[in-house]
Amino acid sequence: MIRFEQATKYARTKGIKKPIIEDASLTLNRGKSVGLLGRNGAGKSTLLRLIAGATKLDGGRIIRRGKISWPLGFAGSFQGTMTGEQNVRFVARIYGIDTEELIAYVEDFAELGPFFKAPVGTYSSGMKARLAFGLSMGVNFDYYLVDEITAVGDTNFKKKCQAIFQTKLQDSDVIMVSHSTSTIRDYCDCGVVLENGKLTYYEDVEDAIRAHDRNMKGN
Amino acid sequence: MSYLSTHVRVVGALLVREMATRFGSKPGGYIWALLDPAAHILLMTFIFRAIARAPALGTSFALFFATGYIAFQFYQAMTSYLNSAVRANKALLSYPNVAPIDTIVARFVLQVCTTTLVAFIVLGTIVATMRVDTDLHWPAILEAIAMACLFGLGVAMINAVLFLKYPLYEQVFSIVNRPLFMISGVFFLPDSIPAPYRDFLLINPLVHIVMVFRKGFYPGYRAIGLDMTYLYGIAFLTLFAGMLVFTFSRKTLRNE
Repeated sequence: MIRFEQATKYARTKGIKKPIIEDASLTLNRGKSVGLLGRNGAGKSTLLRLIAGATKLDGGRIIRRGKISWPLGFAGSFQGTMTGEQNVRFVARIYGIDTEELIAYVEDFAELGPFFKAPVGTYSSGMKARLAFGLSMGVNFDYYLVDEITAVGDTNFKKKCQAIFQTKLQDSDVIMVSHSTSTIRDYCDCGVVLENGKLTYYEDVEDAIRAHDRNMKGN
Repeated sequence: MSYLSTHVRVVGALLVREMATRFGSKPGGYIWALLDPAAHILLMTFIFRAIARAPALGTSFALFFATGYIAFQFYQAMTSYLNSAVRANKALLSYPNVAPIDTIVARFVLQVCTTTLVAFIVLGTIVATMRVDTDLHWPAILEAIAMACLFGLGVAMINAVLFLKYPLYEQVFSIVNRPLFMISGVFFLPDSIPAPYRDFLLINPLVHIVMVFRKGFYPGYRAIGLDMTYLYGIAFLTLFAGMLVFTFSRKTLRNE
């Protein structure tokens, strides 16, 4: 379960202060995957970082029950000067899981070949996405936070993601940000629309998509 | 309990990461961390031997210069490495497990170990090859090292925040910090400076650190003007200020 209690967060850049969420309360229960919809710059990625705990709220609180992943974006949370393998080792260490096992799993999944031992800074975005995806799937979480990552990569990679996700979704949930409504439909049961600092929950993902489309047309 | 063990795990992982990326890319690796200060001391020793007739203390130029340089280095290497601890690990902060303070702790541990190793090798070699026996006064040496490290940690924690918030401050700090080497009593004794200027000099806590450190190597050194209360006061005040600034700027440290 993830519960927002009067959560408030502002985005601040160069004196501009814009609310991302304002006094938002919302409960996401286990067993349902959530699609997160909102216009460009609404703050969907920040919202994922808030859920993960990688960014702090300005007010209110978020209660988390269960293990939550870091936000999986295609930009990656990788240190560019470290090799793919070193990055994987780092994650294994900070989550306290078996290093060699995780390395073997990711090496097999990401199919980077010799590049696995090259600095991540030299990777293409598709390679980074493969590494990021494989890495997070190698760690067991109750919630996976996915930020557009399935948009990167070729068909082969997308198929692979889908296959592994289907097995993961048996006992894990996903909270996903995507501009592709078809991806949201594929993975998510319910939806949350982020608009003007408000979070609106929809039991049916189709309703969320309709509401999002309405917001888009209204502008 | 699990909160603490996460921090321990993360600091451990960051230590490995720092070791691998700081020196891993160069041939020779970690050796350079030791070789660089040793070469510097050797070079300066030659230059001063050419300029001056006798060192201000004792008979060995190498020991006089090395004691000053290494005491100073416990502070200087610390801050220059730790100032950017958070910024250099920015990408890794997107893992919620990794806290900004972990990056500071990891670099602190690594730098204390590195400078201590340098001190052992360089000073050990000099003391062992000197013709006169040297009586080491360990409490003074350890006191100087502890103060230098804590003061350096405090300064670095303040800098880690302020560099992110005010890029202009970084420029100012680097201008002010550069001549610090010249006015910290590394290659002269504050005793030899005439009256009004000596008092200005003694405002610099590093002068006191170098003096205490040298007291550990020169039993006869009187260290006029040394004020331990002042040194402790400044070091702990700076550290406290650093912790305060760091704690209240968690959002800045995370978001940047």
